[in-house]
Amino acid sequence: MNSKLLTDTLKYSQIQLPESGTEITSGYTSDLLSDVMGNALENCALITIQGHKNTVAVASLIGIGAIILCNGRTAPEEMIEAAKEHDIAIYTTEDTQFTASWKLAKLLEHNGELELDLEMKQNI
Amino acid sequence: MKYKVDLHNHSCLSPCASLEMSPSVLVKRAIRKKIDILALTDHNTTKNLPAFAACCANNGITPVFGLEVNTFEEVHVVCLFEKLENAVSFGNYIESTLPAISNDPEVFGDQIIVDEYENILGSVDSLLFSSSSISFFELIPRVLDLGGLVIPAHIDRSRNGAVSQLGFLPDLAYSAVEARYVPCSYETYNNAVITGSDAHIRSSIGSRSFYITGEYKSDFSSLSHALREKNILYR
Repeated sequence: MNSKLLTDTLKYSQIQLPESGTEITSGYTSDLLSDVMGNALENCALITIQGHKNTVAVASLIGIGAIILCNGRTAPEEMIEAAKEHDIAIYTTEDTQFTASWKLAKLLEHNGELELDLEMKQNI
Repeated sequence: MKYKVDLHNHSCLSPCASLEMSPSVLVKRAIRKKIDILALTDHNTTKNLPAFAACCANNGITPVFGLEVNTFEEVHVVCLFEKLENAVSFGNYIESTLPAISNDPEVFGDQIIVDEYENILGSVDSLLFSSSSISFFELIPRVLDLGGLVIPAHIDRSRNGAVSQLGFLPDLAYSAVEARYVPCSYETYNNAVITGSDAHIRSSIGSRSFYITGEYKSDFSSLSHALREKNILYR
């Protein structure tokens, strides 16, 4: 699915997005970047609270399509610049990593064609 | 001249360190181990540094005043200062950035402030094991701007090291990089690589010291110069 659906369907705020969006085929949730380097798959969306430029460097090594920053974390300017250079999307959300993982899994399961009842699931 | 240096040691104020690790025990053991330049670096606090300063002064060992900051990415970084008051003021700032979580000594261990004679003066309430809200990328230039030395700790450890938390060591100018094993198996760029005991118990004091060598004195500016010029030996 296209990462643009993270904004269109999940209402996640887009911090950085290449023009045509990025392709996402799976998700990986971790705050240890050594673990991300070892286990995340190409074209995944990385769900994390690690908002800094090393996250982009790790993402570019693996070919991660999008970084979703949870708990309202934001990206510093140098992280955004690095993501632009490597065509990686960055989103932020108030959701926890658990909730974001659940929502992304639902979205991927339905190939992006899903109207999530966000209000109802807010407490997850 | 060759001086033995150990820049990473905890006292009984760190919840994970043994209660017997008073600054006095640390300094006495360091002298037996023939350490010339010694730092105390508790987790996220500098409240045992006044006792450490007194013990060093009484025993003729060169003190370096520090703390081991836990950044928000949970990377441990040793931050060192020449002057006690600068270290304490930075330590108080770091303590103020910790989350409002109280320590439970039963679970995490005691956080005891002592004087140079091992009299208990009090304890720190905030859980010092927590992480500060300061990021690794903010911390490095900040300590350097204050005239301190900034050294990412045990970068080759599987937890709380720059590599485990950040994927790799960012290519920044550090005062040095601390590794558990030398030569370090990770990229350290152009930085000096040192070892540190990271002593939490008495028997670890001096277990991973290093040496500076050159036309030096046993003082902070010699230490800074030796790190900059990589005039370092491991034995």
